[in-house]
Amino acid sequence: MNWLNDNVNALSLLGAAAILILSAFIIGKYLKQMKTDKGSGELAKENWDGIGEYKNALPIGWALSFVGTIVWAAWYFLAGYPLASYSQLGEYNQEVKSYNTKFESKFANPDKSTLMSMGEGVFLVQCAPCHGVTGDGMNGKALNLSKWGSEAAIVASILNGAKGSNYPLGEMPAGLLDAESAQAVAAYVMQEISVVKKTKNPALVESGRALWATCAACHGEDGKGMAGSAADLSVYGDAKFVVNVLGMGKKGMIGNMPKFNDGRLTNVQKTAVGTYVSSLAK
Amino acid sequence: MFHWLERNPFFFAVGVFLVIAYAGAVTILPDFMETARPVVGTKPYTVLELAGRQVYIKDSCNACHSQLIRPFKSETDRYGMYSLSGEYAYDRPFLWGSKRTGPDLMRVGNYRTSDWHEYHMLEPKSVVPGSIMPAYKHMFKNNADIDTAYAEALTVKKVFNAPYDQPNMPKLGTHEEAKKAVMEEAALVVADMKSQEVKEAFKRGEIKEIVALIAYLNRLK
Repeated sequence: MNWLNDNVNALSLLGAAAILILSAFIIGKYLKQMKTDKGSGELAKENWDGIGEYKNALPIGWALSFVGTIVWAAWYFLAGYPLASYSQLGEYNQEVKSYNTKFESKFANPDKSTLMSMGEGVFLVQCAPCHGVTGDGMNGKALNLSKWGSEAAIVASILNGAKGSNYPLGEMPAGLLDAESAQAVAAYVMQEISVVKKTKNPALVESGRALWATCAACHGEDGKGMAGSAADLSVYGDAKFVVNVLGMGKKGMIGNMPKFNDGRLTNVQKTAVGTYVSSLAK
Repeated sequence: MFHWLERNPFFFAVGVFLVIAYAGAVTILPDFMETARPVVGTKPYTVLELAGRQVYIKDSCNACHSQLIRPFKSETDRYGMYSLSGEYAYDRPFLWGSKRTGPDLMRVGNYRTSDWHEYHMLEPKSVVPGSIMPAYKHMFKNNADIDTAYAEALTVKKVFNAPYDQPNMPKLGTHEEAKKAVMEEAALVVADMKSQEVKEAFKRGEIKEIVALIAYLNRLK
């Protein structure tokens, strides 16, 4: 660090030097005066316990610098730096801006392991209070994420319904299909529609395709949820599915999951949480 | 010029006071006037919320939990938007706190549910593994002091002109009206809760401390 590059530092050093030189000069002057001066001049009326006081004239130089300092201080506080240009919230905004720039350049193209560790960190702070440190929902206090996003979860959704996602077409009712058909549709969704593209029951895919009509009424032929009217199943099993939930919030069995769209999570962080949460089901 | 002041210590002290008071006034007042107004949408506490606030103070929640999100990125990442002074316009006393043994509670209402708060007070470790917070089981037994809360609301209305009974602001009304409003408000909280004990007590017309406290915590947003 070069100290003289900074104007404030340079001025401070200059001021310090000036004070030192002036002090040396003035102290020298008065030391000399103490040695040689004789009492003279007009005494004031007051007498403090036998000690008199001279009537000294106001030193013009001192008086001018005194008034000058006050005028300068008034200008400095009202118009000059720092009150006119500094605010704590402004500093916060700058801090956030510079942090975000750094974050974006560093994590422009995060790899899978970066996303996983970032997602775990965000999960522990923002999600763990309800979903638990391991994501198991802590005995029903929130959704058990260790099954969520899997084929079994599709079956559970069809049998029990799916609540609280605030899609325009409303909540998915329970019992649209029986258990066997639900298995088949789950296999079809997993193999043909979701990004996972594979199923544990490939034999059921074709019968699932035949049964898909029930689901297509809301999710559309292609399962993409008809432009946001229902959940987009083409991203099922992917981080994007989690990101949708983060953006919409959810009315769960125990209360509202908040929408995480107040700016506290960046898009990369949302994807990271999605990647982490999706990994819990495997 | 100052000989006269030097001879009169009393007037000298008055002079010193005036100079310092003037300096203080010109530094503090302009900023205070600007930021101390209630933020748009801020409302005085309802009677039930005040009762919960009194429980919060009585059990010293503020000894470990603060209610002031500072404008640093690390803070807003975790707790949400930083706090503005206008958000505390109806807080008497304010509960900023400086100790962060537990997390900040300024925006807890948006991010926790009634149900979560119930678990948290009954058995903190069940929702926050490793928590060192003690359990507050007595809140499920003791009745909330609604009458004192009403007295507080009436006092701040009369003395500090808190805008109760104005358009878009909480109703206060007479003692009887307030009691009825408290029951209606408490019914919503009780419906979200799991504890049978609390639900039965509510049917008998008793409001437990935990109900008032949850109403207060849900209000913090």
